[in-house]
Amino acid sequence: MTFSRLEDRRLVTGAGRYVSDWNFPGQLHAAFLRADRAHARIVSINTEAARAMPGVRVVLTAADTAAAGFRSLPCAAPIPGKGGSALLKPERPVLAGDVVRFVGECVACVVAETAIAAQDAVEAIIVEYEDLPVAMTAEAAVAPGAPQLHPGIPGNVAIEFETGDPAAVAAAFEGAAHVVSLDLHNQRVVGSPMEPKGCLARHDASTGDYFVHVCTQGTTGMRAQLVATTGVPDEHVHIVAEDVGGGFGLRFNAYPEYSAIMLAARLAGAPVRWVASRSEVFLSDEHARGVTSRGEVALDAEGHFLAFRFNFLNDMGAYIAPTGPVVAVLSIRACLAGVYRVPAAVANVRLALTNSVPMAAYRGAGRPVISYMIERLVDQAATDLGIDPVELRRRNLIPTAAMPWKTVNGLGYDSGDFPAVLDKALGLSDWNGFSARRAEAGARGMLRGIGIATFIESTGGGASPDEVEARFGDHGEITIHAVSHSHGQSHETAYAELLASVLGLPRERFRLRNGDPGVRLAGNPTGGSRTMHGVGSALRVLADDIIAKGRELAARALEAASADIEFDNGVFRIAGTDRSVSLDALIERHAAGPERVFDTRSSARTGSTFPNGCHVAEVEIDPATGVVSIERYTAVDDAGNLLNPTIVAGQMHGAIVQGAGQVLGEHAIYDLETGQFLTGSFMDYAMPKAVNVHGLTIADHPVPTPTNLLGVKGVGEAGVTGSLPALMNAILAALRPVGVTHFDMPATPARVWGAVGAARAGDGRRFAHA
Amino acid sequence: MYEFTYIKPGSLPEASDLLTRHEGAKPLSGGMTLIPTLKQRLSQPSHLVDLTGLAALKGIALVEGRLEIGAATRHVEVATSTVVRESLPALAALAAGIGDPQVRNRGTMGGSVANNDPAADYPSAVLGLAATVHTDRRSIAADDFFQGMFATALEPGELITRISFPLPERAAYAKFPHPASGYAMTGVFIAVTGGVVRVAVTGAGPGVFRWTDAEAALQASFSPAAIAGLEVDATDLNADIHAPAAYRANLVRVMALRALETLQTSSKGQ
Ligand SMILES: Cc1cc2nc3c(=O)[nH]c(=O)nc-3n(C[C@H](O)[C@H](O)[C@H](O)COP(=O)(O)OP(=O)(O)OC[C@H]3O[C@@H](n4cnc5c(N)ncnc54)[C@H](O)[C@@H]3O)c2cc1C
Repeated sequence: MTFSRLEDRRLVTGAGRYVSDWNFPGQLHAAFLRADRAHARIVSINTEAARAMPGVRVVLTAADTAAAGFRSLPCAAPIPGKGGSALLKPERPVLAGDVVRFVGECVACVVAETAIAAQDAVEAIIVEYEDLPVAMTAEAAVAPGAPQLHPGIPGNVAIEFETGDPAAVAAAFEGAAHVVSLDLHNQRVVGSPMEPKGCLARHDASTGDYFVHVCTQGTTGMRAQLVATTGVPDEHVHIVAEDVGGGFGLRFNAYPEYSAIMLAARLAGAPVRWVASRSEVFLSDEHARGVTSRGEVALDAEGHFLAFRFNFLNDMGAYIAPTGPVVAVLSIRACLAGVYRVPAAVANVRLALTNSVPMAAYRGAGRPVISYMIERLVDQAATDLGIDPVELRRRNLIPTAAMPWKTVNGLGYDSGDFPAVLDKALGLSDWNGFSARRAEAGARGMLRGIGIATFIESTGGGASPDEVEARFGDHGEITIHAVSHSHGQSHETAYAELLASVLGLPRERFRLRNGDPGVRLAGNPTGGSRTMHGVGSALRVLADDIIAKGRELAARALEAASADIEFDNGVFRIAGTDRSVSLDALIERHAAGPERVFDTRSSARTGSTFPNGCHVAEVEIDPATGVVSIERYTAVDDAGNLLNPTIVAGQMHGAIVQGAGQVLGEHAIYDLETGQFLTGSFMDYAMPKAVNVHGLTIADHPVPTPTNLLGVKGVGEAGVTGSLPALMNAILAALRPVGVTHFDMPATPARVWGAVGAARAGDGRRFAHA
Repeated sequence: MYEFTYIKPGSLPEASDLLTRHEGAKPLSGGMTLIPTLKQRLSQPSHLVDLTGLAALKGIALVEGRLEIGAATRHVEVATSTVVRESLPALAALAAGIGDPQVRNRGTMGGSVANNDPAADYPSAVLGLAATVHTDRRSIAADDFFQGMFATALEPGELITRISFPLPERAAYAKFPHPASGYAMTGVFIAVTGGVVRVAVTGAGPGVFRWTDAEAALQASFSPAAIAGLEVDATDLNADIHAPAAYRANLVRVMALRALETLQTSSKGQ
């Protein structure tokens, strides 16, 4: 059997190594006591009975983490707040000592000889609580009289950002022929990677070194956060990771449990392992989205956009996760005007604290929030003004000739061909044939709708350069080291194919190691769809550096000047002659020597890229049951140059379906009064299923970016950024004819059926959030 | 999971004995419901008495015009059995729609009926067909067996051994799967047995129940038109974060209509 990806054989035969696959002699097991209430003062914690239980070795509470010198988990704002204001940072303890602020927050950690003994002891810990009132939604948290979650953060707003020019926007609205506004809610979701989060820590008392085996998207971010929290010096923290079973953004940050496990390993003098149950994943993995928004667009009499004004109120959960503010504001700033030529725009973003699990990055990381807002607003404008939604977009798209484009808030897009992307999507989706399909569906009693989204993304620029290293083994294998961790993105294959094509070697020669504690590199975790332009560029430099070394060695071997040596398809040749030597032969001769001459470390620094696309969705709704079926979905994307189209298609499929999950049913729900989490298992949390999606067509319209060596733009998240608005626009298009005027996600059968019924009774907005 | 003692008895009397002797003992069949509750520490039995080795609880057979199915028969066996497919195709189709292949390969009819999850599929067939539940102590008519949410006529330690279904002239099941769990958000089983129409509804209420208005209407005229205008009273139906009671009330009628539609396209139903 052949596999198209190098990692497939290992992964599908169960040979991958995840956190729970690591085992060390004498290993102990941890379990956590979690808050069973959303907001309460801790009056007392009694661990006596737990400590006395058989097999129990360590019991940790806040007193122990304080004694160990632990600090608050870190957080920061990526840009200053409005008027230069700073982020009001909530103290976030590893183990809650005074107050618990969400159901599932860690209160104590027990380490025992077996996982069952640890769990038994957790149940023997007695915590006395004094309940406090809760604020479960961002709106509730910022309302007057809301309970205050943290000292020093009155009103529960940690920071307010503003980007754009409010005065210019106000002026534009004043002179506008039309103003259209729309309130939207982008509901809270749970990321649900297949591998539950876990951590195994080993402490070497003789050196002071910690080896921390964790699920990670990249060792640098993980290590920095653990260092900040535990106070253990950076050189003593070694992150180890091999396969990681999914991340989507929520394996970026160092969860409080990881610091607790490090301390437990030191105190126990033995390796300590903890792997979350699925219930713990639901309760304590970072959640995402949870944004209430209002958008307004001002138009002139011909339907040209004059200005956008947006207000976002973000539910950040009980604490500020390290990536939370980044996700809340940077994508909105970068993609403020979408793909449109709009002379003025402004966005206001407020981060509110609520009694719920902290919010952080999740596939798309803010782009699905701004794209959803803009593209639904544009459709609303088209509806209100009676202009065809395609025509309205076409009238306002940034023309190709205007590239590079400076956006309203001073940022810019380097390249793009938005009108051509739109045309291609219209053609492939047979947009013009829709009315016949609608009529046919209508004859079967079904409501059919078509929706479009033209969107742009901004990929992660990266906090540091990306370093990569090649190590040449004694048997011809070449091991590549990089920070950006593969947790489903096919890095192993993509890197190998890139190097193989430049160096003229078979791809099977290359191995990838991400979380090898023996190789410390600068670099960025995987996130923001940046790996191919960041790490990919570094690999391109690496290949050139290896060729340069080869050229010197070839010159010596061929007794020629290196300037006369050409390199092509793996062979060095004296130009104009048939005297040659292959890179492979040089590697065989030189790589294994004590100087390891071919071993190379290279780096590159890239900025953001701007992938963009046009997605067209077509849905059918059964009015009797409210079931929404995705009948056709066409995605045309400009992701720049494609290195491996199969991997790109896989990323598109996954992300489109992930968006479909949020559109059709995913919804993390807390009880508004008690703060209990109501959707804590897959029995209540609706993941998308294969039966929900039919007829995906994936196509590309590459406009290579000049901003990196490969001309690539990034593709991991575009599917979500496009599918939320495209699908919801299609659903609205299907529902408008029966009188539904507004509808918020998720389009569950019950909600859609309810909306149809309410609309027929004269209420077209029953299923709007606000 | 808490600690428990696992026992795999070799005979039904031994199993019955273990279950009566140990108050904290629980029968274990496919484990698809019981094991997750153990893992979540929601239940703490002293003993688990594994039924899967008991020959008396196995098998599918036509006996004197009735379909007899052993309690430990797995969903996949019901779904694929030629006997069931020919004599009671609606039951085979119902079984094929339970959960996913993993669940169908382990879960059993006895476990499902004993558990009486308000959203389980089998109870609708048992009630809709007026089947008889045989236990190690007695026989219980379906109308007496189901007693609301997770409640049945079973006494502590009493074991279902087999379920005996009369063969209907026609029967069909239509299920609206819950978008998250795949259980029945609402499932309607319609059967005509000996000329008598029964309509059993699962998923919509706190337990499986008979929709008597529809039974009467269909008894008078067995056609979709007979029930198309019927309103289902939502008062006692389930309302939760997934759907209001009114939605489930609507589904009762819609699924009943869909069950009738399948009956119109096939003589015996499916
Ligand atoms: C992911 C998932 C999806 C599912 N989807 C569906 C679905 O769509 N529709 C549906 O109907 N069900 C569904 N189920 C439930 C499934 O059908 C189970 O098989 C059923 O609930 C229990 O059967 P079991 O044999 O596994 O019983 P067990 O889990 O072993 O036992 C269940 C209960 O019944 C008791 N018990 C078992 N056998 C007997 C007996 N012979 N006499 C007396 N008491 C007994 C046990 O003590 C226990 O209390 C699903 C389950 C899962 C895990």
